[in-house]
Amino acid sequence: MSALSAIALSEQRRARAAALVNERGLPHRRIEEWKYSDLRAALGEAGVGAVVAEYLVKSLPYGMDVWDLARPNPPAWVTRNFAHESGNTMNAASLALSDGGIALRVPRGLAPAEPLKLDFTGPGHLRALLVVEEGASLNLVEGVTAADFRNVGFEIVLGEGASLEHMRICPALDNAVLVEEAAVRVAAGAIYRGHFTGFGARLSRMELEIALEGAGAQAHLSGVALLDGARHSDITTHVTHAAGNTVSTQLFKHVAAGKGHAIYQGRVTVAKGADGSDSRQTAKALLLGETAEADLKPELEIFADDVKCAHGAAVGDLDAESLFYLRARGIPEAHARRMLLQAFLEDAVAQIADMDNRELARTELLTALEAVT
Amino acid sequence: MLEIKNLHVAVEGKEILKGLTLSIGAGEVHAIMGPNGSGKSTLSYVLAGRAGYDITEGSIAYGGEDMAAMPPEERAAKGVFLAMQYPVEIPGVTTMTFLKTALNSQRRARGDADLDAVGVLKLVRAKAKTLNVSEEMLKRALNVGFSGGEKKRLEILQMALFEPKLAILDETDSGLDIDALRLVAEGVNGLRSPERAMLVITHYQRLLDYIVPDRIHVLAGGRIVAEGGKELALELEAKGYEHIVGQAA
Repeated sequence: MSALSAIALSEQRRARAAALVNERGLPHRRIEEWKYSDLRAALGEAGVGAVVAEYLVKSLPYGMDVWDLARPNPPAWVTRNFAHESGNTMNAASLALSDGGIALRVPRGLAPAEPLKLDFTGPGHLRALLVVEEGASLNLVEGVTAADFRNVGFEIVLGEGASLEHMRICPALDNAVLVEEAAVRVAAGAIYRGHFTGFGARLSRMELEIALEGAGAQAHLSGVALLDGARHSDITTHVTHAAGNTVSTQLFKHVAAGKGHAIYQGRVTVAKGADGSDSRQTAKALLLGETAEADLKPELEIFADDVKCAHGAAVGDLDAESLFYLRARGIPEAHARRMLLQAFLEDAVAQIADMDNRELARTELLTALEAVT
Repeated sequence: MLEIKNLHVAVEGKEILKGLTLSIGAGEVHAIMGPNGSGKSTLSYVLAGRAGYDITEGSIAYGGEDMAAMPPEERAAKGVFLAMQYPVEIPGVTTMTFLKTALNSQRRARGDADLDAVGVLKLVRAKAKTLNVSEEMLKRALNVGFSGGEKKRLEILQMALFEPKLAILDETDSGLDIDALRLVAEGVNGLRSPERAMLVITHYQRLLDYIVPDRIHVLAGGRIVAEGGKELALELEAKGYEHIVGQAA
């Protein structure tokens, strides 16, 4: 067998991805799914380029395997799982335009106590693959750094009974254009928990494509966005209940001040035959001021019988009565506003199962709240 | 302590208080009685400094100082406390955290050092016991899932904790059964002192059986229409507001 990288091995898929990108071009606001995130306008003349972005493994738990995708002769666990077909334009672009990236694996049954800390850095396109094998579990802390433009295509594969806690914190990056698609495949009895704390960028889009493929698979998504200045944050999710008795929950809380723009688009599809599925979806936004904007769009498509699905969305202002109550008890206005904002975000933060991660998110939010109030 | 002169207050452009004059000295307990829509709650809100209650004429002086432009938190730090008719529920903020933040905010505004968590806890526990406020309530989110009686007890607990100079009780009796009413009234009576003025706002005479006022003012149509001693409450109970308000008109 000749020495071929994982990316070269999937040359066919890569060619198909390139064709898809060519056919569709860069996403822009007249494409419904990109209505609130005009990538073409944000990139302008520079376009998407064909630079390869970088990764940085800051902490690797003992027992995990790592593979650089640019290396020849990838192991079987990489070739088996890498570059699954995707209809997502930017995901296709990361495959078509990049020949680098990282693959990571938690072998069967392994449950490291320490987290995997992984950063995506630099401009360009990048592929990443994380495989959590049967019965294994992992805590992944994903870091994001500034770049004029970065597009990450992240594939996550959970084997039967596996579990992953994935936390991503995106700091406030005024000049960055960041796009990431996480395609997560969840096997029977496996649990994916994703939490996304974001402070916005010039354009920031996190897309989650979750496939609950085996019976009893679960996905729990939550996140908060706290936006000031002219920062933008777009969380777009698509959860597919492909098997029966699968569960998905989503809880997103957004606060936008100044000219901040918070977006949540969430589609849940319950496929034919996925009976006994249970899906809940909540998105709420608070707008501080006239120029802030929030767009919340939960959607449901149900093709199965006997399912429980609930969704709701609400945009509002800070409650005047609560604010008066706190102030009348001596709490200065700025502090009172901070308390109410923190309280508004708290239930989404409380979704983070890992204590250290939760405290980290809380601390980051508290610091940012001091700036907004 | 509190001097209200010819007070006119408008809410969303509509005049609610139309020339109210009232004076309360230290150590005194006054009651404001009046039918629904007479302006009782407007008076309590304008005293506490709620936004949207515009003073169009007249004045409010507290301890000789003009209160009109004072933000609510400054009034609180200077010793004004309003026990609200409908205490708000705030999910995500625990009762104990709220009490600690409020107490220390007031202390800071007065130039006192913060109390640490243990110091606040000790203080709260001591006051909570007599008002039958449980540890479990203090751990819950502020007023969330509290019964009407629990909410009112927590209001009085705050009054005991903050030790205000001027306490305004807005319909503290509403929604309370007789046992809860007695408990709350005992709490209030325990706080009567020569340095503290109280203004008890109520629709019914019932509360005044337990908290006996020095003076009663009847509010109707945005003005004080009758004044008297504690016996006035009994007359109101017997003859109704219609009679007194009618006489005054």
